[in-house]
Amino acid sequence: MKRTTRVGAVVSTVALLAATAASPATAQGILDRLRQAANIARTLLPISTAKEVDIGRGIAATIAGRFPVSTDTALSRYVNLVGLTVASQDPRGDIEYRFAVLETPTVNAYAAPGGYIFVTRGALALMQSEAELAGVLAHEVGHVNRKHVINQIRKSDTMREVRDQLDIQGATLDRVVGTGSNALFMGLSRGDELEADSAGIEYASAAGYDPGGLAAFITRLDRHAGEGPVTEFFATHPQPGERTERLNAIAGRENLPPGAVLAERFRKIVH
Amino acid sequence: MSRGHGIARRFALAALLAAGAAAEAKAQKAEWTDVVYVPGRWAAGKLVSLKATDPRTDSLALMMRVDYFSAPPRWRAEIRRTADGQTMGNPDIIIGEGARAVVVTALGATPLEQHVLGQDPLVRAAMVFDRNGRAPGPAAGRLVERAADGSVGRVVFRRSVKNPSFADALLDPGARSGGRSLLASGISAVGDQRQASVVATAGARGVDRVKTPGGDVPVTPDSAAIRRMELLVVGAVALEDFMRTGGLGPYAVRPDSTGRRP
Repeated sequence: MKRTTRVGAVVSTVALLAATAASPATAQGILDRLRQAANIARTLLPISTAKEVDIGRGIAATIAGRFPVSTDTALSRYVNLVGLTVASQDPRGDIEYRFAVLETPTVNAYAAPGGYIFVTRGALALMQSEAELAGVLAHEVGHVNRKHVINQIRKSDTMREVRDQLDIQGATLDRVVGTGSNALFMGLSRGDELEADSAGIEYASAAGYDPGGLAAFITRLDRHAGEGPVTEFFATHPQPGERTERLNAIAGRENLPPGAVLAERFRKIVH
Repeated sequence: MSRGHGIARRFALAALLAAGAAAEAKAQKAEWTDVVYVPGRWAAGKLVSLKATDPRTDSLALMMRVDYFSAPPRWRAEIRRTADGQTMGNPDIIIGEGARAVVVTALGATPLEQHVLGQDPLVRAAMVFDRNGRAPGPAAGRLVERAADGSVGRVVFRRSVKNPSFADALLDPGARSGGRSLLASGISAVGDQRQASVVATAGARGVDRVKTPGGDVPVTPDSAAIRRMELLVVGAVALEDFMRTGGLGPYAVRPDSTGRRP
C-alpha cells in the first residue's frame, strides 16, 4: 500500500471513530472531531531519516545564519570528539551526528533534526570540565533521538497541506524548516526538555563521563540568572532547580557510577 | 591522411585543450570564510572600542563574516555585518574582476567606489583581491592586522573550503553576453540569472525571520557553514585515541562494588 493511501486510511478511520463518538452529534461537534482526527493523523505521518536530515540541514543553516559557526578547527574538532563519544551511546544507528560551536556570547545549545548539534561560545565559557560539555551535548543528542523538533513540526499547521513526506520539498520544505527553526529558538516543551535530560545523563554516563556534568553546568548557570547572555536559555528551559533535582534522582535511582570529569583537558582546549 | 582524419584530429585536440582549460579553471577555484573582529566589545547593541595590543588576550568584538568565492580573475564576496555581535544581517553581495568590484543588489550593479559600501573601511579592508583577482595571504588561520603604532586593527579568522564546488554563475553579474567582461557591463539592470545567483547563496531556504523569546530576528540561512560542518570529519582512529586517553567508552575505568575507583 502506498504511504499516501495508508495515511489517508488512518485519517478516515480516526475521523469515523471521532465522528461516531460525537453525541449529541451536532454538526459543529463532528467538525471539531474531524479536525482533531486530522491533527492526530498528522502526528502519525512517517518521516524518513533522509527527510529528517533534509529538514535538519535547513534548520541548521538557519541556526548558522543567526549565529556564525566557529572556524576554530581545533575547538570544532574537540567538540566533535566529545559529541561523538556520547552520541556513540545513542541507540539510533541511522544518524550521523555533527557538532559545531556558535560564535556568540549567548549561552545555549541547539539540536536540529538529523544530528546537527550546536553549542555556543558563551556556554563553553561557563563550563569547567569535559563532563559538563558531554552532559550538554548528550542532552542535545537526546532531543535528536526522541525527534522532538520533528514531532513539533508534525503537530504544526504547516503540515496541514502535507499528505505524504514526499510533499515536503520546495516551498513546503521552506515552511517546514521555518516552523522547526521557530520551535527550536522559542524552546521545546518542558516534557521534551526533561526527556532529553533523562536520555542525556544516560548517554553521558554510558560513555564513561561523570553523570553529574549536566547538573553541575545547570547549577552554575543558575548563578548567572538575570544576566543578558543567559536570558534566552532560562526563557526556553525548565527551572534549573527542577532539572538538577531530577537529574540527581535519576543518577541515584539508576545507580550511575562516577565517571571521567576531565577538567584539565577541557581547559587546555577551550579556555 | 584523409581530410576526415584531419578534422577528427583537430576536434580531438580542441576537446583536449578545452578539457585541460576546464580542469585548470576548476583547480583555480577557491572558497573561504573570514570572520572579522576588531578590538572592543558589544554593549547593548553598541560597539565599545578598546585599544588592544595582544589579540590573544584583549577583548575582541565580532564585526562581520565574509564568504569568498574565487575563480581568478573573477570573485565574489558576501558580507554579513552584525549590529549587536550576535546576529548577522542580510549579505551585501560584491562581485569583482581583478581589483575592480561592483555591488550587486536587487536593483542593479553599482561600482563599489560609487556605492556607500565603498566608504566603509571594514568593507574596503575585505577587498583582498589583486589586479589578477587573486587573494594573497594564508588559506587558513588567524591574521592580525596592526596599526602604525602597533595596536591591533583587525583580527581575521580564516577557514577555507577544501574542495570548492560553487556554481560558476555565482561570479556572473548578469552580463547577457558571455564574452563581455564584467567591467564592460557597468551599471546595468539585474537579469533573472543574477537574481537567481544572489538568492542561491544569500538565503536558500527563504526563512528570513525567526521567532525568539526576545522577539523576531532577521536571519539569512548559511548553508555554506553547514557544508563546512559536514566536511569536518573526525576519523574512527582519532575518536578511539580520544576515548583511550580520556578513559572513556570501552576504556572507562568504573568503580568497584564499594564505589571506589581503582
